[in-house]
Amino acid sequence: MNKTTRREFIKKSGMTVLSVGLSHQAFLRHVRAASESVLTRAAALSPTDRILVVIQMDGGNDGLNTVIPLSGSAASLYRQYRPTLAIPETEIVPIGTDAAGTLLGFHPNLSPLKELYDQGRVAVVQSVGYPNPNRSHFASQDIWHTADPQGMKRTGWLGDYLDVALPSADNPLLAVSLAGGRLPLTLRAEHVLVPAISSVESYQFRTQPPSDHENKMRTFLALNREGTSEHVLREQIRLIALDTYESVQKLHSGVQRYRPDPTIAYNQQNPLARALQQAARILAANLGTRILYVSIGGFDTHQTQATPHATLLARLSEAVAVFYRDLVRLGLDDHVLMMTWSEFGRKVVENGNRGTDHGTIGPQFLIGTRITGGIVGEHPSLRQEDLNPGLGDPKFSARAIDFRSTYATILEKWFLVDSREVLGGSFELLPVIRT
Amino acid sequence: MPLDEYDKIAHLLRRAGFTAHPDELEVAAARGLQATVDDLLNFERFPDVSPDPELISALDLSQEDFNRSRGEFLNKLTRWWLHAMVTTSRPLQEKMVLFWHGLFATSVWGLEFWQQIYLQNENFRGNFDPDTGQILRPAPRNPFPVGNFRRMLEYLSKDPAMLYWLDNQFNVKKNAEVGSNENYARELHELFSMGVEDVVAKVPNYTERDIRQASRALTGWRVLVRANGFTFPRVFIFDAARHDFGPYEHLGKRGGTNADFIFDNIVRHRNPGQKQSAVGRFLGYRLFAFFGYDNPEPEIINALADVFDGTTGEAPFNIRAMLRTIFTPGNIVSEAFYSERAFRAHVKSPTEYVASLFRLLTFDRASGRPEGLPPSSPRLLRVLSNGMIQMGQQLFAPPDVSGWREGLAWITTTSVLARFNFATDVLGTTDSGIDIARLVAQAGLQEAIQKNRYGDIVDFFARLLWQAPPSVEAREALTAYLQSPTPLQSTTPNSSDFVNVKIRGLIHLMLAAPDFQVS
Repeated sequence: MNKTTRREFIKKSGMTVLSVGLSHQAFLRHVRAASESVLTRAAALSPTDRILVVIQMDGGNDGLNTVIPLSGSAASLYRQYRPTLAIPETEIVPIGTDAAGTLLGFHPNLSPLKELYDQGRVAVVQSVGYPNPNRSHFASQDIWHTADPQGMKRTGWLGDYLDVALPSADNPLLAVSLAGGRLPLTLRAEHVLVPAISSVESYQFRTQPPSDHENKMRTFLALNREGTSEHVLREQIRLIALDTYESVQKLHSGVQRYRPDPTIAYNQQNPLARALQQAARILAANLGTRILYVSIGGFDTHQTQATPHATLLARLSEAVAVFYRDLVRLGLDDHVLMMTWSEFGRKVVENGNRGTDHGTIGPQFLIGTRITGGIVGEHPSLRQEDLNPGLGDPKFSARAIDFRSTYATILEKWFLVDSREVLGGSFELLPVIRT
Repeated sequence: MPLDEYDKIAHLLRRAGFTAHPDELEVAAARGLQATVDDLLNFERFPDVSPDPELISALDLSQEDFNRSRGEFLNKLTRWWLHAMVTTSRPLQEKMVLFWHGLFATSVWGLEFWQQIYLQNENFRGNFDPDTGQILRPAPRNPFPVGNFRRMLEYLSKDPAMLYWLDNQFNVKKNAEVGSNENYARELHELFSMGVEDVVAKVPNYTERDIRQASRALTGWRVLVRANGFTFPRVFIFDAARHDFGPYEHLGKRGGTNADFIFDNIVRHRNPGQKQSAVGRFLGYRLFAFFGYDNPEPEIINALADVFDGTTGEAPFNIRAMLRTIFTPGNIVSEAFYSERAFRAHVKSPTEYVASLFRLLTFDRASGRPEGLPPSSPRLLRVLSNGMIQMGQQLFAPPDVSGWREGLAWITTTSVLARFNFATDVLGTTDSGIDIARLVAQAGLQEAIQKNRYGDIVDFFARLLWQAPPSVEAREALTAYLQSPTPLQSTTPNSSDFVNVKIRGLIHLMLAAPDFQVS
């Protein structure tokens, strides 16, 4: 795959070309933006207008206290298995019935999400997991990241998507991780290099003193511009350094375009809200970014989980709601699909420490203007015969949904590519995306 | 063009150590390559690194007090180890501690008692006795870091951090098939000794059942939770009441009453029709990839495995003998090690980046020694710890039990920025121990500065930092940088401003250039 085009171009032509390349991109963007009005917004989106925001709930979210059964055997078993952790029935926010007729409700702290749900912007995909569940965080996260239940792959499913669908894209910010300094495996590709950005502010070359900054950067670029073809490794490092230089320039040339709206307040105490605000800045800058990745940690609630889990759900729903409002303001809501995931659910039976241990399946949320809202699939059965013997977590039954169905749906219906090329197989598509 | 003796020595000291200052290279060149190899290998001739009294005394804090400052403890431990790498007279010893830390990857994020990670570091240095929980310099029977691998497996399996990290602490007798927790037994095979497949023959080394049986033999291997007046669990005990005394069926053999049976089977395991042991090949591969280049040829792996197996006449399982083979000229392995393919073909890990940076920039030419990283600067501790995280190698916290991904994987857009910004941070603070004025004075560069002989200045620092003359283009770019006008701090620019801004900037740019990322 030809990834050297852009780099060769820069190498040969130097810094001035960067701005030329940028204005070309920006020009196309502006043409598109100008042709877009409220009237045309509902029209079919072109493939380049489809953005995915992945929200990782790190640690294994307790799905049973996130989407809670309110009727049938599941509701009574829930209360029986969760003597201290069951959410009082009166506090649960009902959302409707699933395919099996079980009435379900949100944890009270998901109220902001419920508002979006009521507008048909949220699909709740139930009982998502994979056969022979792995209860190790590390192993199960790798499985979700790579879409490989054998856990043997070294590249992620979205990294593979980038390699397959956009191998020669000339954009160092095609995908951006905002989940700390380390790149999530999901975005690791064979060819496309995805930057991991802790924050837009920190993603830059810092120098001292400021008066010498331009001199230094000019020299840095000069030192990396010239190739010495006989030294392969040095050459590879040089090209990554050029990529870095370019992505920094591009990011900072664009993010000033974002103007915060005082009525849309991202809670700065909420790390997920902060990360999603960074995402909004990048999207508002029209940099051609197609995938953004954020993460919220702390879901590994083995001990006294009630308060910390409630806080995490509040952060999740508050952050998603404010981000969605901001996208609407920016006219981008139509272009953005959000997907949450967590490496596993937790055991049905609470443990001796008022917490829950690692389990199997759990719910996923898909959020966006182009979503067909509602409940997909069935709530896990909590009957004894449907739990893994001795382990007390739901079996991956025929009624459960393979997480690769969610991935396949996003690849086919949102990114409009053949999901088999990325996932190495066919998976049932979920009816969650309006086209 | 084959490497000359000087290049070979410089290459050796970059790989088997943490890079030598040009003055040290002159001394080594005068002694010759063979003598340099001998000094590296027989490092017991030279004094060991000194412990940090603050770290030692922190081990006696109550758990509550310790936990209040455990983040700071980790930062101090990181500073101390990097300082050890920079200042040690036994570079190969510290390099091997780093090798074992990467291979037997253990992270504080899986530990309740972070003190144990320091004990593990001393264990890998050969200075910890798990049976008494004591740090001794050296601990008499401890085989680390270059001794008998069979015994290393024993010391590894008794290591308090490892016992907690991979749950063997909780592995108790269950039934004739498996112990109650197979986590450690699995990694002992998969990551620590032979790998899933024979690295040359590409056939499976063991079965799931071998792992389950091995887990039985490791039952009851645990740390005393409260013992001997220590404030945290650090003394190994063999707990017969929790142990399954076998016999076990493991790697085609039946017998044994304890894990010794498993360790013996592992180090001697040969796949059918193979002349070399699986462990010899695995370690040959890992050692050569660490010191030489990635994906070594099967002949190199087999030659190292022969040394491990003792078929060359050496005592078997001896890591030092394998290292001697890699570094001593005159065999197929060392030919590869000193080949053009290996020369400057290794991406420095963040640890090597930081250690080489401090070795070269804190080197005092008067004493002939690097001064290292000052112990008591809170700012430097923060810069180091943030820097290592951003660069992708937080020591004592590898991403998982399989360790760090080496090679070009170290270089990402994030880490390019992190290396650049780390250099800004350490050069921008006076308490990092880097004294630019002294560097310039000891290099005799004042005249070149006064007479604007910028090319000479660039040449000096290229020889120091890149260990090579600069390319024509780089020399041009850096000379232009030194000439480029910068509003300096005082109204009348003088040579001290030039040193503070431009020489510092030159060093910064050289540290950030591709030439400094390779070794």
